[in-house]
Amino acid sequence: MQITWEGGHMSSYSGEQLRWACPCAECRGEAGAPGRLSRVRSLPEEELRIQDVTLVGQYALQIRFDSGHATGLYTFSYLRALERADRSG
Amino acid sequence: MAGPTNEQVLDALAQIHDPDLGRDVVSLGMIKELAVDPAGRVSFTFELTTPACPVRDRFKSQAQDAVGALPGVTAVDVRMTANVRPAFLRPKPSEILPGVKQTIAVASGKGGVGKSTVAVNLAAALRKAGAEVGLLDADILGPSIPTMTNSRVIPEQVNGRLKPIEAHGLKIMSFGQVYPGEQPTVYRGPMVGKAIEALMIQVDWGRLDYLVIDLPPGTGDASLTLAQAVPITGVAIVCTPQDVATDIAIKALQMFRKLNVTPLGLIENMSWYVCPSCGHRHEIFSHGGAEAAATRLGVPFLGAIPLEEGIREDADAGTPVVISRPESAGAKAFTEIASQVAARTSIQSFRQLPVINVH
Repeated sequence: MQITWEGGHMSSYSGEQLRWACPCAECRGEAGAPGRLSRVRSLPEEELRIQDVTLVGQYALQIRFDSGHATGLYTFSYLRALERADRSG
Repeated sequence: MAGPTNEQVLDALAQIHDPDLGRDVVSLGMIKELAVDPAGRVSFTFELTTPACPVRDRFKSQAQDAVGALPGVTAVDVRMTANVRPAFLRPKPSEILPGVKQTIAVASGKGGVGKSTVAVNLAAALRKAGAEVGLLDADILGPSIPTMTNSRVIPEQVNGRLKPIEAHGLKIMSFGQVYPGEQPTVYRGPMVGKAIEALMIQVDWGRLDYLVIDLPPGTGDASLTLAQAVPITGVAIVCTPQDVATDIAIKALQMFRKLNVTPLGLIENMSWYVCPSCGHRHEIFSHGGAEAAATRLGVPFLGAIPLEEGIREDADAGTPVVISRPESAGAKAFTEIASQVAARTSIQSFRQLPVINVH
């Protein structure tokens, strides 16, 4: 997935990277309970392929993976931070 | 002596600067149908981005003066019109609310500060200015728009879609019309979200310049659903001057900021009260709190509305005060605020929404 930001900067993300960064409550965990992504060590291929991307209001992207998983709303600021974290790590 | 060329006229008009859009009116495409005849008579259409433009009269006289000063001009005929531009430059029309050019949310955070009264009068003032306006009551659990607009009529269904109720020249839709009388709507949060979506998707809004959306108090389901479902042009935040109201209004404003919804500004309601017996001005809920908060947060202050018995009486009687008592201080305040809101909304027409291509 590629994003061209308003300032002209371009970011590029792989399906795998985005899937492991899914911010939804099931993946991340909530109210102190760990989420699915902290319990599994690998994900099947269909979990990692992006099927569709839709705009949510004017603040986020909803990414649907081939597995049907689509509960994560990736805010623009999260996507920007994700890129920075990736570059420094 | 021959009249000026079209270029000379446009150069003269390009001296006029739109204070809100920050550019000259020629490059903004506001000058249309320009004609100069051999006798030096110049005529053109000046197309504003909103009929409620706060600088309409100033633009007209500036245009007349600028063109009239050119050598060879014997007469200047300026036709003032308005064409509301759709919010955001987008590649294709949106699927939800396709005929609506601008969506304006009215929110407050705290309840009881007069959100619905502001929403109703804002819609009515935009309508009076000449715009096509709809009013969506997103307060599913406590709808007050039907009473305030005397539109307690069950909507008709045509081809599986509901027709909004027409009142005071507005198209109005509320859950209070769907479930009239004393029947309550008892819904959990997710159902509230669904109901708001239904009011947008299952209602035939048609073509509107502005859809004013009256939100319930709080920073939860209703506001979140709305911000996720449609690109809202902007949100106007209503509060009363006292700290307990401005504190919560700030939370509402920050919520919309997080969701990238542009704050159009803060409105101070119940700002002062003129006693009909003694004529003395009282500031029952304090005064100036909203303006101070707006300054601190770096958002526009849109105006202050007095506490008037007439506003309340007319709301209960079902006619917005801007229609029933246009000369009252309250009506004038609402009209001025509507102009400010329209001007701030116009700015959003020049913003671009993200484009998504899926390969």
